[in-house]
Amino acid sequence: MFAVACDTKGREAVEPFIAAANSTYPSVLDTKHVVAELYNTRNVPAVFWIDEEGTIVRGNDPVYLTRRNRETGETTINERYQDAIRDWVANGAASIYVTQADETLRRIGQPEDENAQATAHFRLGVHLHEQGRREEAIAQFKQAHALMPGNWNFKRQAWNLGDIEQDYGTTTREAFAIGIPMYPPLELPEPPGA
Amino acid sequence: MAATILYGDLSATSATARPEGDALWLTTGDLVTATRWEIKPEGVCRDDMCIPVPEDRAASMLREQDGATWFNLAEFARYIGQPYAHDEAQGTWYFGAGPGERRSALESLQAPDFELQDLEGRSHRLSAHRGKKVALALWASW
Repeated sequence: MFAVACDTKGREAVEPFIAAANSTYPSVLDTKHVVAELYNTRNVPAVFWIDEEGTIVRGNDPVYLTRRNRETGETTINERYQDAIRDWVANGAASIYVTQADETLRRIGQPEDENAQATAHFRLGVHLHEQGRREEAIAQFKQAHALMPGNWNFKRQAWNLGDIEQDYGTTTREAFAIGIPMYPPLELPEPPGA
Repeated sequence: MAATILYGDLSATSATARPEGDALWLTTGDLVTATRWEIKPEGVCRDDMCIPVPEDRAASMLREQDGATWFNLAEFARYIGQPYAHDEAQGTWYFGAGPGERRSALESLQAPDFELQDLEGRSHRLSAHRGKKVALALWASW
């Protein structure tokens, strides 16, 4: 496991989760969303399987392996997905959960021109926010959202740094109702004998 | 007029930058500091790559002024298809990676490498785990 927290708010936002996970694997902080850009993700969660040679053999799974309830602090485990990972660990490339290269690429998707331009606005917004330039940051985030409405990372992160109604003139309900899918389908084969 | 230039992982302030609308003029010295691009006879060079300045763009990309050679970094970005964004009030410019660069990196399905710190300040590099299977999980608190 290698966990990356995509969180511009940084330590204060992610520390309770990381402390609760008490993990033995690397758990790093990515305030600028660098990894999301590299892996072309548009929302969290997103899980990638990387084999011993450093090749992606399954990509962009919208699942949490474990999930901590914000209110109760209770942690639940996604057993079906954990079983799939165990199968891959045991069987490697022969695992039914490993996807063919063209299928893996299809699931990850192609970075488009608008994506790169939107990322430039988002990244500048993060910098301005870190400099305490709230208004200027919001202006950049809005440009990122307009260029790439399907990037929920850009939206949810910006809303999290400010006030969705005051700063962006919308509500979470409205914003989620615009018909752009939040997540790709998981497309996990049924385990044999299920 | 000063400008803050965020160029991928690099960050620099140029005290003498001259932003003019869509143009960002830097002295060739500041250009190297901010971007590691260098003006050479064969073109604009970085590491082992050189991009020749096309004749029809020479005037909008390079100029002599006040005893120095100036380079228009924004014009260069437009020429090579590099995305950028700028905030006029703060004089801050961000130059990112082009979509072609990202596409070709993913097409090989080689997991793009990165290095980030955990909350204790320890650095972790993804490629340090080569030889083992890795489930890379992106998550957030929001």
